[in-house]
Amino acid sequence: MTTDTSPIYDLRGLERSYPSGDGKVDAVAGIDLRIERGEFVVVAGPSGSGKTTLLQLLGALDRPTRGELRFEGRDLAGAGDGELTELRLRRIGFVFQQFNLIPTLTAQQNVEAAIAPTGAPGRAAQARAAELLGRVGLGSRARHLPSQLSGGEQQRVAIARALANRPDVLLADEPTGNLDSATGQEIMSLIHSLHADGLTIVLITHDPAIAGSAPRVIRLRDGRVDPSGAPLAATA
Amino acid sequence: MFTTRYVLAELRRRRGRTILTALGLGVGVALVVAVTALSQGLADAQDEVLRPLSGVGTDMSLTRPLRPASDAAGGDPFAGLSAAERKQLRDENRPRRLDLTSLGDPGDTFETDSFMSSQLTLPASTTAKISGLDGVREAAGGLTLNAVHVTGVVPEQSQQQGGFGPPAGGVPAASARPDNLDFSSISVSGVDPAAPTLGAMTEAQVTKGSYLTTGDAREAVLSEGYAKRMGLTVGDEVRLGGKTFEVVGISSPPLGGTAADVYVKLDQLQRLADRDGRVNAVYVRAASTDDVSRVSSEMERLVDGASVTTTEDLAQRVGGSLVDARNLASKLGTALAVVALAAAILIAMLLTLSSVAKRTRELGTLKAIGWKQSRVVRQVSGEALAQGVLGGVVGAALGVGVATAVGALGLTLEASVASTGAGTAPGPLPGLPGGGFGTGQIVSGTTDVVLNAPVSAQLVLLAVALSILGGLLAGAVGGLRAARLRPADALRNLD
Repeated sequence: MTTDTSPIYDLRGLERSYPSGDGKVDAVAGIDLRIERGEFVVVAGPSGSGKTTLLQLLGALDRPTRGELRFEGRDLAGAGDGELTELRLRRIGFVFQQFNLIPTLTAQQNVEAAIAPTGAPGRAAQARAAELLGRVGLGSRARHLPSQLSGGEQQRVAIARALANRPDVLLADEPTGNLDSATGQEIMSLIHSLHADGLTIVLITHDPAIAGSAPRVIRLRDGRVDPSGAPLAATA
Repeated sequence: MFTTRYVLAELRRRRGRTILTALGLGVGVALVVAVTALSQGLADAQDEVLRPLSGVGTDMSLTRPLRPASDAAGGDPFAGLSAAERKQLRDENRPRRLDLTSLGDPGDTFETDSFMSSQLTLPASTTAKISGLDGVREAAGGLTLNAVHVTGVVPEQSQQQGGFGPPAGGVPAASARPDNLDFSSISVSGVDPAAPTLGAMTEAQVTKGSYLTTGDAREAVLSEGYAKRMGLTVGDEVRLGGKTFEVVGISSPPLGGTAADVYVKLDQLQRLADRDGRVNAVYVRAASTDDVSRVSSEMERLVDGASVTTTEDLAQRVGGSLVDARNLASKLGTALAVVALAAAILIAMLLTLSSVAKRTRELGTLKAIGWKQSRVVRQVSGEALAQGVLGGVVGAALGVGVATAVGALGLTLEASVASTGAGTAPGPLPGLPGGGFGTGQIVSGTTDVVLNAPVSAQLVLLAVALSILGGLLAGAVGGLRAARLRPADALRNLD
């Protein structure tokens, strides 16, 4: 993936509006943005600035109302549901603020849930899930249910799940938002190590400390990139 | 397979919901099993009671009754008859006008029998005509009459007011009745010994002694009740119309059937009662039960004013708690089972919907990590289906348990036939039974049957299938709801 020099994301005039009452709300109101392969990008901004909407668009969970959204050269605006599902399965990894693990499945089964749709044989999926849990430091807790794990452990399981099919990008929505600061730092260092291994990271956060440590920060305000508040932004 | 493991994990770890759904479906299904088994048990019980009566479902009898009083103007039971029919009825029932002067001198004792019927007789050739109908296997004539036996002392002339006879249509003035007369009445039925399986009394109903022979010997078969009442048994003699008959057998008619007190050979009764070549009932056996209704209506066409009674009509006379329960089971029971099942399925649907609603984030997350719509739908429906299977097993077990418990209770139900009480014609004489003359009497009484609730393998399979159907419906509803979830819902902070 690093051999390809084209940007992983290329957004032009991206808009996403929702009907609201009589009119509409422009959650994303025209964003131009390039994200290169292997970048670590933090998206920051006050609530209501369009961070989550942008992440949904980047994650192929939603389609833009207007504009161009290229992921690895493909315009997602015109892609079908099946194509978006396939991208989410194989190319994009998600980490959520509230971990979003399946409460009835063990840590290992939660990781397998991400492998199952690929059609991999059960045994291979189990081996892969165990390996990933080992990589996030939870090898010994594979058989625990989410309720038996701490918040930090749950987020590690979620990261293992996001990595299950070797994605090209990891999208994280406030991954430390529900964790104490020490645990949050552990998770952040795990994410940094993944970045060091070449994974592209796009991370939403409120936390100025995290934003401060990121090589590139994109500040959003009212659905647009705020140039004044983004001293490190390198928009073209 | 991952889906299977996930389904099992859901069922196991959301135990409350699983138990609730399975129990809901189970109770609904159990009710279906229990009600069906009970209905079957009641049907079996009813069959047991009716078997002697309707064992041959092809049997019918034809009579020419007076029209019911309700049809006639002013409540006159004879108003429906034509002039010729009135005359016929009068002539038949007044062959022996009781002219006391002819019985002997005043002070002498006398004894006389009159044979009467409120049913019109038919020529014996009717039997042959009916035999010729398509779909008729066999037909036999019968004659059932009331023998009014009068004994007394010939009174003084002053007490005689122009004689006295049992009237055909009215009640005699009480003042005209001599007070030294004793009336007794028995019903006598003439049966054709050549047709021992068909008639007012059949060979199969003889419980003691034997059936009538085809020869000329004067033989009689008594009904059990009459024999008991009179203290008679096989080998004794009865007197009828001045003749002596040897009792050769005792018969036991089925509950709800028609019984006479005494059965004699048809030709002998015809002669005794001055009704040579006449019958007032034709017993008919159709070739098959499919022919019954057609043959029945053809006979009604053939004989003007005829009334045909089928075994089904006879079965309807049977009442009592058995029949009440049967009706209850078939009406209320079925409704109850349907309502319960519908409610159970509705509950399963609502629980599935609520489960999907509660798992919005979970299902949205699955979509976000690359689960296809169909896979999510399959997951949700799979869970509901598994609950349906579970509910089916629970329901079948519960239903079989209830049915077994009912069987173990050994509840008895009663089948009864009420006596006819006030019949269509007014009781014309003291000492005579009410109701139409010469029609025999419907056997009244009570019999007890033990209730069982048999559960067949098919019923258990049906129960499981119904529950699975419930699970499928719930799964379809839940799946549809899940399909409408947007994957972006996973990112929303719902709590």
